[in-house]
Amino acid sequence: MNDAPLMSVRGLTVDFPLGRGGLFGKPQMLRAVRGVDFDLAPGRTLGLVGESGSGKTTTAMAAIRLAPASGGQVMFDGADLMALTPGQMRQHRRHLQVIFQDPYSSLNPRDRVGAIVREPLDLMDVGDPAGRAVRVEELFTLVGLRRDQMALFPHQFSGGQRQRISIARALATNPRLIVCDEPVSALDVAIQAQILNLLRRLQGEFGLSYLFISHDLGVVQFICDDIAVMYLGEIVEMADRPTLFSRPRHPYTAVLLEAAPSLARRKSQGYRRQGIVKGDPPSPLNLPPGCAFASRCPQAQDRCRAEKPALRDTGAGKVACHFPL
Amino acid sequence: MADPLMSLRDLRVEFDTRHGRVTALSGISLDVMPGETLGIVGESGCGKSITALAMMGLVPNPPGHVTGGQILFQGEDITRAKPRRLRRLRGREIAMIFQEPMTSLNPVFTVGDQIAEAILLHQDVSRAQAEKQVVDLLATVGIPEPARRAKAYPHELSGGMRQRVMIAMAISCRPKLLIADEPTTALDVTVQAQIFDLMRDIQREFGVAIVLITHDMGAIAEMTDRVAVMYAGRIIEQGTSDQILDNPLHPYTRGLIGCIPVLGREAGDAASLPPLAEIPGIVPPLHLLGDGCAFAERCALADDYCRAVRPPLEEKGHPVACHHAGQGVPA
Ligand SMILES: Nc1ncnc2c1ncn2[C@@H]1O[C@H](COP(=O)(O)OP(=O)(O)OP(=O)(O)O)[C@@H](O)[C@H]1O
Ligand SMILES: Nc1ncnc2c1ncn2[C@@H]1O[C@H](COP(=O)(O)OP(=O)(O)O)[C@@H](O)[C@H]1O
Ligand code: SF4
Ligand code: SF4
Ligand SMILES: [Mg+2]
Ligand SMILES: [Mg+2]
Repeated sequence: MNDAPLMSVRGLTVDFPLGRGGLFGKPQMLRAVRGVDFDLAPGRTLGLVGESGSGKTTTAMAAIRLAPASGGQVMFDGADLMALTPGQMRQHRRHLQVIFQDPYSSLNPRDRVGAIVREPLDLMDVGDPAGRAVRVEELFTLVGLRRDQMALFPHQFSGGQRQRISIARALATNPRLIVCDEPVSALDVAIQAQILNLLRRLQGEFGLSYLFISHDLGVVQFICDDIAVMYLGEIVEMADRPTLFSRPRHPYTAVLLEAAPSLARRKSQGYRRQGIVKGDPPSPLNLPPGCAFASRCPQAQDRCRAEKPALRDTGAGKVACHFPL
Repeated sequence: MADPLMSLRDLRVEFDTRHGRVTALSGISLDVMPGETLGIVGESGCGKSITALAMMGLVPNPPGHVTGGQILFQGEDITRAKPRRLRRLRGREIAMIFQEPMTSLNPVFTVGDQIAEAILLHQDVSRAQAEKQVVDLLATVGIPEPARRAKAYPHELSGGMRQRVMIAMAISCRPKLLIADEPTTALDVTVQAQIFDLMRDIQREFGVAIVLITHDMGAIAEMTDRVAVMYAGRIIEQGTSDQILDNPLHPYTRGLIGCIPVLGREAGDAASLPPLAEIPGIVPPLHLLGDGCAFAERCALADDYCRAVRPPLEEKGHPVACHHAGQGVPA
């Protein structure tokens, strides 16, 4: 990463209260994100990958202050986001947008889609009403929808078209960064390809940065420049795309790559998976003292169970493992 | 060659909808051989799940109707079977697992009780014997501490463990045919890998034939011997998995393969990967299907003949339904 980062996250920590342990007990806390650091350069895409519950969504939401962090710092475009007043945060909001996985529940079913796309412009007072109308038409064309569709309601669109509407809405205020949380996971492969190509084209056109969450490594390889692998609320490996895919250093990254489906693995050739990872991750409420991956790691040794590995530079990236591959 | 275990012969299924009668499946013919894995692949709405439900004699009625053809299980036409006979087949011979195991498990009973119930319904054993079988089955499907987990409620298990429980229940009566409708779509890739390994082990151990429904060509490659590709309620291409993956002839099949961002270590090296191949547009709704090829409005090779005349499924190396099969850019 050579450019000065657009977003720089240090020590990001997020806790969720979990009710009380007994009548007078202290409220129990679930630490969902545990000291995450990353930089996102302008015009680049950082992928967050990892199993369900590893903290991808929570990390991204806390980084753009849509969820409260309990610690850490987020510098965005020169501003310390955590230190801003709500009024100041509003000024930055237009540069930070989100696209969610579910194109069904993230669009208000009672609003016409033209109004849905215009809403952020209204909320953030961007331009005058005539200018906003022109902008909405422009956005529809940009994402491959027709202007005559602006008066329709969300249910009159297919899943892929609804995702285009979400993208148009996210682009409305000319943001600099868009969080894409599993934006194609709910779509059929053919539609997924349409949306992925669109996201890449828009990035090139507007110099957008994406924080891109996905559990599909094929998708991640296609769209991301840099990848952070998360396990139980921490980044365990981070590298640029060629490095991560050609030479994974963390045993968990290797296991994820091994588990991903691929056309080259044929039943007809007697394919059997090599290093399959056993079981589920441990509960985030009951973390082991050493490496969080030790209970499932094929390489685990005594030291792993006693001493927690720090995220260290490898020259080509970063890895948190005592015995990197 | 052995006799097929399950055969669909020219099957037709229609639904009553607010657009009138629509044809959800049309002229579906396929065989599942004993011990093999047949894949069914296609975008959502193409008729994969209805095909699976038909094999179980479970087409929802109303609004669905089997209006033509035969569903033969070991030669017996189950479209004519009595409900009692069907229930027996479903418990003992044919079993099914679904995408979201949570919805198929009862939240207020322990998983052990639910598996035991399935065993007691179909086998002549005592409660104690059934409970012993439950623990063995949970161990077979790779659940750690099976005796303890048997006492867990569904919500106390992870998604992967719930799917293992469903598989345990499905194999409890040693079925000959296991139908798996997108069994791993809701799961992480690591867990999907575990479930696929389990399905392969079970197939090797019990010789069960598997019908795997998926939209994932990677799953087809790794799991299946043969594949049927469906589009808008018809089979549009069929062959061995290698034929379909290495030499697809139908433009839709080529599109499905070309649009996947394939994971490959070589691909990681390029500075920027080329755009994905796209299949433009979407699957047409059933009530708008015309006389011509249903894929025509999304197909780069479509001509007036395609739009007017539906291509039949014909042998062109392997069966494919396209007037211009094998032409244009290969996948
Ligand atoms: N509102 C909440 N209250 C309590 N715990 C939460 C809340 N949101 C998330 N968590 C917990 O925080 C952890 C991280 O969750 P998060 O949703 O960020 O994971 P994720 O990586 O995005 O997973 P997925 O792939 O399933 O979307 C999990 O243990 C989750 O159960
Ligand atoms: N209960 C139903 N009533 C009306 N139409 C249905 C019903 N179930 C399925 N269909 C229609 O039948 C077609 C095939 O559905 P399905 O087999 O579920 O597709 P797939 O599993 O390939 O996604 C779809 O067009 C769907 O809308
Ligand atoms: S530190 Fe040890 S247990 Fe953890 S990933 Fe590395 S080798 Fe495995
Ligand atoms: S018949 Fe014509 S329209 Fe249909 S898939 Fe073949 S070339 Fe395309
Ligand atoms: Mg998430
Ligand atoms: Mg289905």
